[in-house]
This record gives sequence, structure tokens and C-alpha cells, in this order.
Amino acid sequence: MALSAQKGRLIAVIGDEDTCTGFLLGGIGEINKKRESNFLVVDKNTSVPDIEEAFRSFLKRDDIAIILIVQNVAEMIRHVIDSHVQPIPAVLEIPSKECPYDASKDSILRRAKGMFAAEDLR
Amino acid sequence: MSFSEIGFNIDHGYLEGLVRGFKGGILKQTDYLNLVQCETLDDLKLHLQSTDYGNFLANEPSPLAVSTIDDKLKEKLVIEFNHLRNHCLEPLATFLDFITYSYMIDNIILLITGTLHQRPITELIPKCHPLGSFEQMEAIHIASTPAELFNAVLVDTPLAPYFIDCISEQDLDEMNIEIIRNTLYKAYLEDFYKFCEEMGGATADSMCEALAFEADRRAFIITINSFGTELTKEDRADLYPRCGKLYPDGLVLLARADDYDQVRNVANCYAEYKELFENAGSNPGEKTLEDKFFEHEVQLMKNSFMMQFQFGVFYAYVKLKEQENRNIVWIAECVAQRHRAKIDSYIPIF
Amino acid sequence: MSGKDRLQVFPSRMAMAIMKARLKGAQKGHSLLKKKSDALTLRFRQILKKIIETKMTMGDVMKESAFSLAEAKFTTGDFNHMVIQNVNKAQLKVRSKKDNVAGVQLPIFESYQDGSDSYELTGLSRGGQQIDKLKKNYAKAVQLLIDLASLQTSFVTLDEVIKITNRRVNAIEHVIIPRIERTLSYITSELDEMEREEFYRLKKIQEKKKKIRALEEKRKAALRESGIEIKEAPNILEDEEDADLLFTD
Repeated sequence: MALSAQKGRLIAVIGDEDTCTGFLLGGIGEINKKRESNFLVVDKNTSVPDIEEAFRSFLKRDDIAIILIVQNVAEMIRHVIDSHVQPIPAVLEIPSKECPYDASKDSILRRAKGMFAAEDLR
Repeated sequence: MSFSEIGFNIDHGYLEGLVRGFKGGILKQTDYLNLVQCETLDDLKLHLQSTDYGNFLANEPSPLAVSTIDDKLKEKLVIEFNHLRNHCLEPLATFLDFITYSYMIDNIILLITGTLHQRPITELIPKCHPLGSFEQMEAIHIASTPAELFNAVLVDTPLAPYFIDCISEQDLDEMNIEIIRNTLYKAYLEDFYKFCEEMGGATADSMCEALAFEADRRAFIITINSFGTELTKEDRADLYPRCGKLYPDGLVLLARADDYDQVRNVANCYAEYKELFENAGSNPGEKTLEDKFFEHEVQLMKNSFMMQFQFGVFYAYVKLKEQENRNIVWIAECVAQRHRAKIDSYIPIF
Repeated sequence: MSGKDRLQVFPSRMAMAIMKARLKGAQKGHSLLKKKSDALTLRFRQILKKIIETKMTMGDVMKESAFSLAEAKFTTGDFNHMVIQNVNKAQLKVRSKKDNVAGVQLPIFESYQDGSDSYELTGLSRGGQQIDKLKKNYAKAVQLLIDLASLQTSFVTLDEVIKITNRRVNAIEHVIIPRIERTLSYITSELDEMEREEFYRLKKIQEKKKKIRALEEKRKAALRESGIEIKEAPNILEDEEDADLLFTD
């Protein structure tokens, strides 16, 4: 980790086409020499095991520091996300354009539950 | 190539009638008023059912995505267009083909980008616009490098002359893809303009007007968008289509422009563009320049329906339909994202 | 069980001194760890509060970004595929730095620009300005998300560390300190016991010595009466066994 902390790390995205497009325009996209991309476009034909596999492979890559995942996709592979407890890479759930953000589903915020009263979460 | 207006209806009367009928199905202001009232996409679907669109979304499962609506709208346009294309006679066939070339350019650019980044090209094919598909597209998987793509596939497409004129094989590797796209588009516009001019008559009148506007719009927008980018002035000047009203003096001035105000000064020399630039702005509440251009385009297209015995109606119909699709998608996005503040900034057509 | 749960030591004054030192150490350690845990919890709560705030703003920022995408699409048409196909090298990357809270290393992400914008000319002929706005919006969103990621990583790390610290505090409070205390009281009671034994022994010996001395006096008196002179000084070289007085009658 000390080594990879020196060089820049990437942000990975898993989400619908529009979300991915947006973030790619934001300049985070990269395809490395092995032709692996750091994003996954999830459409209605993408199967859950595919998403799971992509997510796990992002977790394994040591050049990825942050994984952004659209919340409704996160719902599909919730158990995998919950089993990821290491701080790095950080897994962030982001709202998709059609579903507003629902804090009660977020893995991290669920861990924080009980430490804060319900009205703080509003 | 010559044809008189007397003989027009023998060959093209049916299709012209058809396209005028299609035009009647374009959404009216009242339809838009209904659409913007919608709370959910399902409401929107319901409202669209009462228009000419009918049951085009009936088979879609309930959580309706905006992209599905987009796809379906596109599909409908493609079906209508192909119907026209299948029933037409020369020279209308060539004219309709010309319309598809602009989509073809986009498709080819997409394919070139894909090959440059070594993406499996088969997965790109379904993402191409159906109006711009060409026979050679099925064979495209044989190409894995841009050079192969150029030699094996592109030389056989109708776009080949555009490539040969301005882009060499090496350029495919090095040039920025957007520059290639705009170079192609420029060649295409000029060619289309020439074709319409040769056709003469009412077609030339309406189409040259439309194409000249398209050419000038591109020149303006390219100039404005190139500020602050790596695009040099010489490269920029090469992208201006030379068939608009700006040609040749305006383009020379545009090529020298350094900022928005200078572009505006150029536009001030031309009555119709002066007006567009005057009311445009990027502040909230103001219409952007591009919106103004869209409105002007819609106006031109509507005018083209005023003339009979000419092909401009077909072009106008496709453009209006495209604008309508954008409008519907825009409203759908606003509804889906519950972001109603700007829902009214669609471009009304009728 | 708990009464017998003590350290295996020989009950001596030395051991007691050591135990007392250990008790003091444990108490000091306990109070220090408690302070650390409090400091961490304080930070933890701050972070948690910030996370919740940021997550809420993120909702709005993302919404705005998504909307600007719709706006850009309205002018440019569908450009998703162009963008997705055109991915090459990341322009925005993150570096991690370390922040130190009460001896805990918290990673902080920091973004930086690397290389040029590969989408610079996207939408050149149409919608370039909208796309520019879109890029800015998403860059802003990415910035916010990076901040959020730092917070979240800190949150997870701190959560872990706080749990460990609290476990240690509790272990010291409820296991180690009682055990040392029990050991101490054991040593004290053993020492007291030994003292009492010693006292009894001394008394007994004294008693016996008294008896013996009385007999001796009697014998000496009898001898003196019979006119025999006694040499008072005994021979110190004489190797006489020192008899065990305590257990002989």
C-alpha cells in the first residue's frame, strides 16, 4: 500500500449509462494496458453475477481507491457490499438520476444507526 | 437532372402526401401543455397514447426508463422514414439517402473510436443509429485497426468520397475524432448543398436555405466552442462548411475571432443571425444561443412545408421529428428527475 | 472461580511490591486508553455528522449533475456511446495522505489533475457549452465524492479502532485490574497468616526457653549448694547440636 499511495489512484464507477457517461466526462475513466476499464455500465441486460464479479474485481485492483456505485445497483449486490469491511477502497453509494437518495439503505449509514438519533438522518 | 413541377406528382405525389400526413401527427402546443403536467413517466405514456404516437410504449414493462422512451421514439421515426425510402423513386431516393448520411457519419465515427480503443466492434453495432446503418456494417467485424477499417469497409460506403477528399489513412490514427467528424460533416453538407442546387426548382430554394443555415450554425458553434481548447485557428477554419451565407467573408472573419463578442460582431453583419445573437444569453431565464438556433431551424423547417412540389418537406419532416423526440425526452427527463423548473424550455414546433 | 482467578505468584513482600506497581500501571493505562477512546469518539461523531451532511448535499449535487446531462443531451443528442468508447486515460486521480488522530492513521483522499481532457472537443459542433457545464458539474460531484470517501474511510477505520480501544479499556477495567487486586489481597492475607504463625512460634520458643532456663537454674542452684563451682563460660568451640525447641516437649 505504501507503494501505491505514491502514484495516483483511480475512481471506479458502477452505474447506469447516464451516470457513467457523466463521470467519464468528469475525467475519471481509464482503460489500462490489459484493456480493463474502471467502469461498468449496468443496463437491463446486465446480470447480477456480472455486477458482482465486476465489483469484486474492482475491490481486488490496488490502483482503485474509491468505488462509486449507484444505489439501485448496490441494492442488487448488497451482501457483497456489506461483506466489504476494509476502509480502502472506499465504497460510496450515489443516487441514480431517477431515484433520489435513500439514506436508510446505505451500508455505511446503517452501521452508523443507533449512534445517531433518527432525526439527525433527516 | 431535371424535372418539372408538372410531373412531380406522378413520381412523388404519394410520398409527399404521406409526409404531410405524418407532419399532421407532430405534437401541438396543447399536447406539450398536457405533457408538462405529468407527474410520472406513466402519466406521460398515457398522454402520448392520446396523440399520434398511440400505443408505441404499450409493451414496455412498467418502470419506464427515459432511455426506453428515447429508443422507441427513434424506432418510430426510423419505421416512418424507411417506409418513405422504400416507396420512393429517383431522385428522391438519392435525396433521402443524403439525409441518412449525417447519421452514417455519426455511426462511422463511433466505430472508428471503438476500433481506436480496441473495443469489440460487434458490441458497437447495436449502438449505431439505425437510420445511418449501411450494408458494409455487417462486415465490419473483420476490421480490427483503423487502417483496416478504412481499407476494407469505409472505401465501400457512400461516405468514401468525403474521406478521400480530406482524410488520409494516417489521420485516422492521429487526428482528434471530433475533428474527423466535423471534417466529414463539412464535406457532407457541401455535397448535399451541391446536389440540391443541381436539382433546381423549389427543392433548391427551400433546401439551400436550410442547408446554408445548418452550415452557418456549425461555423458559429464550432467557433464559440473552440475558445480555450487546443484547436488552432487554422484547423478551425478548415471545419467551416463553405456553403452557407457566411461564405466567404463571414467565415474569414470568424476564423479570426478570439472571443464571443467578436463572433457576435460577425453575426451582426447578417440580419437573421443578428437577431438570434441579440436575445441569447446563458443566464437563467434567457434562452441559450443553441436554443435560438433550434428555434430558427424549426421555423425554417415549418416554412419549407409551405411550398409544394419539392423535397424539402422530407428533410424538414425528419428534422422536426428529431426536434420533437428531443423535446419529449427532455420533458421525460424533467419528469423522471422531478426537476420541473426548466421543463418549459423545450422548443415548441406548432 | 473468580475468587481464585489470580496471578500465580509467591506471596512475598517483593511480589506485593511488584503487584502494586502493576496495579498502578494498569490504572494509568486504563485512564490513558479511556482518554484515547474519548478523543476518538469525539472525532468519530464529528465525522459521522459530516458524512450525513455530505451525503445529503451529495444527493442535490448529483441531481443537478444528472440534470445537466439531460440538458446537454437536449442540445447534442445522444452522446453516451461516444463518451464511453472514447475512454483512455484518467484525468482526475486521487492520492492518499495520512492524518493522525490520537495515534490512529486516517487516510485522506486528495484529487489531482493528470493529463489533458480527452473530451475537450466533444460536442464541438453542437452543445459544446452544455457539455462544458456538464463536465464542470460532474467534476464538482467527483470532488464532493472524494471528500465523502475520505470521511467514510476515516469512519470505517475509526469505527474499528474505537472498538479495539474500548475492548482494551473494558478488559483492563473488568479483568486485569480485578485480577491484580485479588492477587494483592491474596498476598496480604498470606503475609498476615505467616506473621501470625511466626508470632506463635516465637511465643512457643520463648516459653520453652523459659522452662529450660528454669530447670537449668534449679540444677545450678543444686550444684552450688553442694559446693561445686560451675564454670559459667561455655566452650564455644564445642560442636553441640542446636536442638529444635519448638516441637520437643
